[in-house]
Amino acid sequence: MCRDKNNKTMTKSAFNKIYIILGKHDNENLEWVLQTLSFLYSHVNLTSNIYLVSENLPYSMPQVENIQKNINEFLSKHLFARLYVHIVHPAPQPGMNDITLCYQYLKQSTDKFDQEGYRHQELPRLILLPVLVPDDECKPTQLIDLLNVLKNSFLLPSLYLNKGTLNLAQDETLMSLTDKIYYGIGNSRKMTDVVCNLFRQDILDDSLDKLENNDLSMTTACPDSLIISAQDCNVYSCMKAFLKNESLAKIHGIHSLEELLAHYYQQDKSKRDCLGCREQVIDSSVDLPKSLDTNQKIGALLYHFGMLRQESEDDLQAVKNFKQSLNLSPIEETDPIYFRLGLGYTKIGHYDQALKAFNSVELAYQGQHFFHFHKGLCYFETGDYATALKEFSKALQSETQHDDRIRILIYIGTCFNNLGKYEQAVGELEKAKETAGHVKEIYNALGFSYFMIKDYDKSIENLKMAVKIDPFSAIDYASLGSNYREKGDLNTAIGMYEKALALDPGMTSARENLERLNKKL
Amino acid sequence: MNVLLIEINPFLQETTPISLGYIASFLKSKGFGVKILSIGQNTSLSRSAFHEIIHSFRPSLVGFSAYQRIMLYIIGLAKFIKSIDNNIKIAIGGPQATFMPSAAFAELPDVDYICRSPGEITFLGIAQAIENGTPFLNLSGVSYKDDNDAVLDTPELEGYTDLDRYPSAYLNDVFDYSHMREAIMLTSRGCPHHCIYCYTPHAFKHKISYHSVERVVEEIRWIRKKGIKSLWFADPNISYKPSRLIEILDRILQEGLESEMWLQTRVDLVTPELLKKMKRAGVKTIAFGLESASERVLSRLGKHITLDKVAEAIRLAQKHGIEVELFTIYGLPYETFEDAVKTLEFVKKNKVKIMGNTNSQQMQIYFGTHMAQHYEDYNIRPLNNNRPAYLSIGSQYETDQISRRELHQIQQLWQANSLDGGKRIVS
Repeated sequence: MCRDKNNKTMTKSAFNKIYIILGKHDNENLEWVLQTLSFLYSHVNLTSNIYLVSENLPYSMPQVENIQKNINEFLSKHLFARLYVHIVHPAPQPGMNDITLCYQYLKQSTDKFDQEGYRHQELPRLILLPVLVPDDECKPTQLIDLLNVLKNSFLLPSLYLNKGTLNLAQDETLMSLTDKIYYGIGNSRKMTDVVCNLFRQDILDDSLDKLENNDLSMTTACPDSLIISAQDCNVYSCMKAFLKNESLAKIHGIHSLEELLAHYYQQDKSKRDCLGCREQVIDSSVDLPKSLDTNQKIGALLYHFGMLRQESEDDLQAVKNFKQSLNLSPIEETDPIYFRLGLGYTKIGHYDQALKAFNSVELAYQGQHFFHFHKGLCYFETGDYATALKEFSKALQSETQHDDRIRILIYIGTCFNNLGKYEQAVGELEKAKETAGHVKEIYNALGFSYFMIKDYDKSIENLKMAVKIDPFSAIDYASLGSNYREKGDLNTAIGMYEKALALDPGMTSARENLERLNKKL
Repeated sequence: MNVLLIEINPFLQETTPISLGYIASFLKSKGFGVKILSIGQNTSLSRSAFHEIIHSFRPSLVGFSAYQRIMLYIIGLAKFIKSIDNNIKIAIGGPQATFMPSAAFAELPDVDYICRSPGEITFLGIAQAIENGTPFLNLSGVSYKDDNDAVLDTPELEGYTDLDRYPSAYLNDVFDYSHMREAIMLTSRGCPHHCIYCYTPHAFKHKISYHSVERVVEEIRWIRKKGIKSLWFADPNISYKPSRLIEILDRILQEGLESEMWLQTRVDLVTPELLKKMKRAGVKTIAFGLESASERVLSRLGKHITLDKVAEAIRLAQKHGIEVELFTIYGLPYETFEDAVKTLEFVKKNKVKIMGNTNSQQMQIYFGTHMAQHYEDYNIRPLNNNRPAYLSIGSQYETDQISRRELHQIQQLWQANSLDGGKRIVS
């Protein structure tokens, strides 16, 4: 992305990849593809990739040949542009010799760029990259001859393998002739599925690159890519759109391609859950062969996704990401993952699991106030106030920020209240009051503590402050009622219970107390 | 008046364009509006977006950092810029331009100036001339092609010897830090040595000039404040004055500015004390120039180091926990195939990982080197005598001792031993 010094995006991002699903010998559609491509050249990255995806290469040659001519013209005019053209097609096919001939023919038309590259001592600006999609019955020997021919013509071949053809990766000779392997999920060799799988791999690579380059914008649109289907003359802004059959628009009949692009930039990308798509890609690729290093990188990626989910308060998904991340990450990197997982479980109310996660990183995090605070919170929520108290006390011993300190003191006070140690509760809560000033929860808890030690005046004093801060707090009015009741001021008590019921008609305790007092009077 | 400075390298990740940064901050200090556009292989930039930049920023002058391998892209972009506005002047500077023959203008139809002298002051002269409406009057340090296509070479300009006189690219905030992972710094310029294959000593007349320690530390402080904790020192020999480097490292330690650092120097410019301090300050990797592990070849390169010294420096650095990279070159004059293999064996024997900058590369014969001017004296035979005048021999040669085929074999040997596929970071 191009940015100015104030970090403002200067330009719209460019398309990195265009996937073209070729038509079935349809000249009219070919014209449409050529027009669309000619328009898009202005918007592709200075180095970009075009995938020409064909069900049958020899059959698609008229289209491939015309597209390549179109590409040659573009590159000849713009010496700063570079294109990798990936030709994706099944192999072997009945006419294997035909495939060889196709490439020999295509290669001739790139000679000009090879010479230019040689002259400038650099890689050619146009590089053809065959991607062969073998079928389930394919034997390595059937591909080796073709790969040799391609390599000898300076064409670097790749293989697309899926569940049914994964065994080919065991053949060393075949692998030594293969520049890259694309992995697809499922068994399908349908070209639309192949495109989706290529796209998936691209999303995963892009996410890993972003993480490596410290570019953490994972919620933004995934790689700027388009899928163009010559079969139905539609343009799709991403894999998800393609899968859902949500094309940008039928270009037929649209006068301005600029309008289509404006639509792409302004509307289509913004409405998609791009982070969700990145997560799904990882989910779907879980069974594909990956190196240990890649798995560990994916682990780091999932940790980052989890953090993003936690920031947006989607804690369920965050927990899912952290759990997956733990399975893939090296043991020495799991501490922060366990901690975040603990936080996630806390947020969704799975306190036992949260404690299990926190306990796994006790050694690494002990002494850090936020760790002890969250642990304390879990014990508190599960009713183990004594242990909660220990954790909150540890949190208080560490360096804490002002707001955190108050929060911890309130919890400590509440723990003491719940343990029936009201005097100690008063001690802690008064400290919190001194530090914090007007925090309703402190007055509320103090009101309860003083009530329990029968210091009704102090209780009333604090509860009055609570309702001053929050005039809609039914519970504090009800507590005031109980204090006045105990002091024998039954009329005021009735008034307070009535206020509480007016604010919360469902408050049973206030209703019962009111009924009892009314009967007494 | 606005000036756009462009660095393009479609074969590498985008890096901090430090040289353009210096020019930008210098021009800004003189009142020019400046924008830097750094285009790497990961940069998202389309033709229409580039058009938009030219159209909205309206530069009167566009400058390119020129390197051998990207000349084609510069030519393409220059043509595109002129097609948008033919009044925009185009200048090229940097390593490829300094000693490029003026005859190259014939094949650079859209280039108006070739900068020969230090970038800051040369560029300022051009920018001021354009601003004054006399783009080809009273220029120095450049060759230019005027409106009548006449080519003229002007007298050289001397750069400042006190580098602090150039405003800092960092302190003047000319870079976008949003995606910067590593800051490239230049605390000194030039090299006093006489290695026959190297461009730098000739370009800087065998002199070396420095920034003050205070300025270097101030920049590091600023970079750290921007959240960047990795520094890459591009100085050819950062420890040329060891006491100065020790002072910089001491200040880093005193001020708690420890950062992950990469630096390069000569094997005869490191001591155990220096390496110990480097490690404490955060130096992760040190790169030494070995070039060849054949004593016979090495003795004729003008490098004046011995293999024993190289091995000792590697061992010392490794002992202190600093990762070592070794710059090596194959296809050197007088080098046989067996000599080239010795270099690979030396690297392996000394347990230097073959990856990143340790991936060897074929010698490049650049404009300005003694070898480029006198290649026949070195038994070098260019393979392509029809190359454009803006390109030097580069790697298209063979020697009396080593054939093209053998050069290719050596490249393959290195690749086979490489841990990362053979891609060098510094080229």
